[in-house]
Parts: sequence; C-alpha cells; structure tokens
Amino acid sequence: MTTQTESLEKDMYKSFWYADWSFPIFVALLSAGIFAGTHMYYVYKIGAFNDVAIVAMLEAGIQGAGYGAAAAFGASFLFARVLEGALVGILDIGGSLQTGIGIGVPAILLASGITAPVENFILSLITGALLGALVGYSILAIRKLTVGQSNSTFGADIMMGAGNASGRFLGPLIVISAASASIPIGIGSTIGAAIFYIWKKPVAGGAILGAMIFGAIFPISLE
Amino acid sequence: MELIEVAIKSIIIGALVGVGVGAGAARMFHAPKAQGMGAFRTLGELNACAGDAASHFSFGLGFFFNAWASSVGAGAFTQDVDHRIIPNWAAAVLMRKGRRPEDTLHNPKKMAISGGIIGIIVVAFLNLTASAIPESLQAIAVHVLVPAANLLINPVMPVIFWLAALDAGKRSGFWGTIFGGAAHLIMGNAVPGVVLGILIGKGVDDSGWNKVTKTLLISVIVLFILSAFFRGFDIQLLESMYITPPEWLLDFHKLLGLEVK
Repeated sequence: MTTQTESLEKDMYKSFWYADWSFPIFVALLSAGIFAGTHMYYVYKIGAFNDVAIVAMLEAGIQGAGYGAAAAFGASFLFARVLEGALVGILDIGGSLQTGIGIGVPAILLASGITAPVENFILSLITGALLGALVGYSILAIRKLTVGQSNSTFGADIMMGAGNASGRFLGPLIVISAASASIPIGIGSTIGAAIFYIWKKPVAGGAILGAMIFGAIFPISLE
Repeated sequence: MELIEVAIKSIIIGALVGVGVGAGAARMFHAPKAQGMGAFRTLGELNACAGDAASHFSFGLGFFFNAWASSVGAGAFTQDVDHRIIPNWAAAVLMRKGRRPEDTLHNPKKMAISGGIIGIIVVAFLNLTASAIPESLQAIAVHVLVPAANLLINPVMPVIFWLAALDAGKRSGFWGTIFGGAAHLIMGNAVPGVVLGILIGKGVDDSGWNKVTKTLLISVIVLFILSAFFRGFDIQLLESMYITPPEWLLDFHKLLGLEVK
C-alpha cells in the first residue's frame, strides 16, 4: 500500500503541472505578462506590476534623470532571488520578475537606447517570455548543481515553517493597525476578528471586514 | 480606439500573469519537491486564510482597493496584484463550494485556470477604470492594511526568520545573524540575508564545506558587496563615520552611471 502511494506520488511529480521541465514555461508566461505590463506603463502610463516607489525609479529614467538606480536595483534583486529560489524551491516573483525583469531589464534596455521591446506590445511579450524561460532554466540548472548533487535541502523546511508562522501574525496586526487608524474602525475590526475566531474562520478576514464595514459608516479622511 | 487596444492587451496580459501566478502558487505547496513561485509571505498568507473562501476573498479585496488607488494615482498596480489578489481570489473561486484546499488551492492545474480568469478580470478592470474609487474604502486600505502589511514585512518577518535560524543550529544562527544584519543595513530588510544565512548554515550542516557550499558563500558575499556599492552604501558608511569620501571613489560611482550625493 505504501509503495503504491509512493509510486503514485512519484508519477505526480513527473506530470506536466508538477514537473521540473514545465517550470520555465510557467515563469515565461508570468514574465511575458509582467514585461508587457511595463510596456503598458511606458505607452499608456498605467499597468506596471510594481509598487509606486519602484515604478518611480523607472519613471525618473523615462523623464531623463538616468536609468542607473532602476537598472542596478532590479538586476541585483533578480540575481539574489534566482539564487535563493533555486535553493529553497520557491522563486520570489516580487524581486525576480516584477522588479528584476519588469523594471531592471527595461531600464537597462532603455538606457542603452533599445526602445523597441518596450514600445511594441508583441515584442514586449516575446522579450518577457524569453527572459522568463532563461530565469526558469537557470533555476533548474542551479537546483541540479546544488540540491540535486548534495542531498541537502538547504534548510527549505525551516524557511517554509517561518513563512507559515509569519502569516499567523497578520490577523492581530490588522486589528492593531485598525485600532490606530480610528476608534470606530478599531472597534469594528476587533468585533469582526472575534466573530471569525468563534466561527473558526481566519482572524485576518474578520478583522478586515469589520474595519471596512465600520469605515464605511464612519469614514476617515485619506490624509 | 485606444480603449479597445488597452482592453485587448489587458486581457492577454491578465491571462498570462494569472496562469503563471496560479500554477506557481499551487506548486509552492509542493516545494521543495516541485519548484514553485510566489513568495514566502504569499504562502503564509494563503495558509493564514486556512482554505476559507470568504477569508481569501476579503483578504484579496482589501489589497485590491489599495492596488486600485495606486493604479488610478500613479499607474502602478503594486506588487500585490501578483502576490495577494490573484492567488487569494483564485483560491476563493475554487473553494466557493467548501472544497478541501488539498484538492483546490494545492492543485496547479485548477489554480492556473481560475488564476487566468481572475487575472483577466483584475488587469482589465484596473487598466480601464481610471475613475475614482470610494474614498472611504481607499482610506481603510491606506490606514489599516498598508501599515499591517508593512509591520509584517518589517519587523515581524525578519524576527521570525531570524529566530528560526537561531533555533536551526549553530551554523544557521551564526550566518543568519551576520547576513541578516548586513542585509538590513544594505537592503533595508533582513529577511533575504537571514534566508541566505540559513541556506549556507544548513547546507554545511548537511554536506560540509564542499564546492557547492563554498561557491554559495562566495556568491552571497559578492552579491552583498555589489548591492552595497550600487546603492551607495560605501559612501554613506564613510560619511556616517565623519570621513570625507575620496574623490576617486565618487568618480568610480559616476563612471558606472550612479550619481552619489
């Protein structure tokens, strides 16, 4: 019985949706979309897949203040995340794809005067897909050379545990932030969290809903 | 005409991103056996919602208002579209009939399909609605969710990862502390440093100082030196020690296209 489930599991990790060889395809799809998002921002000023502060670095370059900051920031993030992603088994898409490929690479291209991949939608999709596939294959190669060779998971279990543990903090943190925002929102958030806890539902969800309901009745200013 | 162009492009982008994020997020639950993509915090948050459709939806909704405000204001979606909104809403759609996370959230095929659909809707919506969102909801996002998420990223996550490194053995604790401190100084967040410290510590614990672990340590050090240089950390360090940075160093920064004030 155990050997049967084991072999079933082995087969599962060879199928398309779980296998190593399909990983670069998924990275290429996501990366094509993110790079095309930067194209949207370049052309229509909307649609970059990143935070305001990071998009502002690219915008500074577009306005003529130099692409150095965006290029260096993006490239160093990309490098760090590819290395980390291969070893822990989870590629951080924020640093690698959204900042590295979505901001860093366009900054390098635009700084060298190559505008076509950013200006043209089809070219942006192709560029993004190729870069994504390259990232995917680099990760598989590093995995083979490290994890595959040495029988060590490089502490991936520890980091998964820490990642899960940090999610638990979210519920209480939302109630604390809500209580600092205004008294009614704090009360709503507290009630929502308590009700969700009694209902055996995640506290974070109740805290947000409570804050939103009370925030709609007793609005606070945006400033 | 431009509206139709934006709509068509948004649908293509949304589908591509959604499929990638959905499949990557589901594969995270099978790491390290299968290579996943997303983020540790996404994994933690997906688990925090514990497979409850309403929680997944409301968690995504909170960040959606923030992303909407940021898109209207600055054209930037925020990273949350890929990190939080698409994975949580894709999970919410799959779980609406109360199915187990093992059959839904952890299944890359199902998550890719529902992620693709959510991606199209979210990206098209954000790109096409440049009109204002209800200000009271925007204010909740700015005053409640953003501070909570910022607290999570710093200092909660660094501390949890750091303590995990200290508990994982002498080597992980040592390298995690060294690189964690350096990462907070250079990059402004200790998590990447602590993670690299655990990698090195556990790698050496399991297989000793071989070619792989040595290469790893050297590349991490090179990485830190390079990002310190490119962020002008060297100049700031000298200045905060009341030493005037030498002219050649400033020239070297300029040569590489990075003006240091």
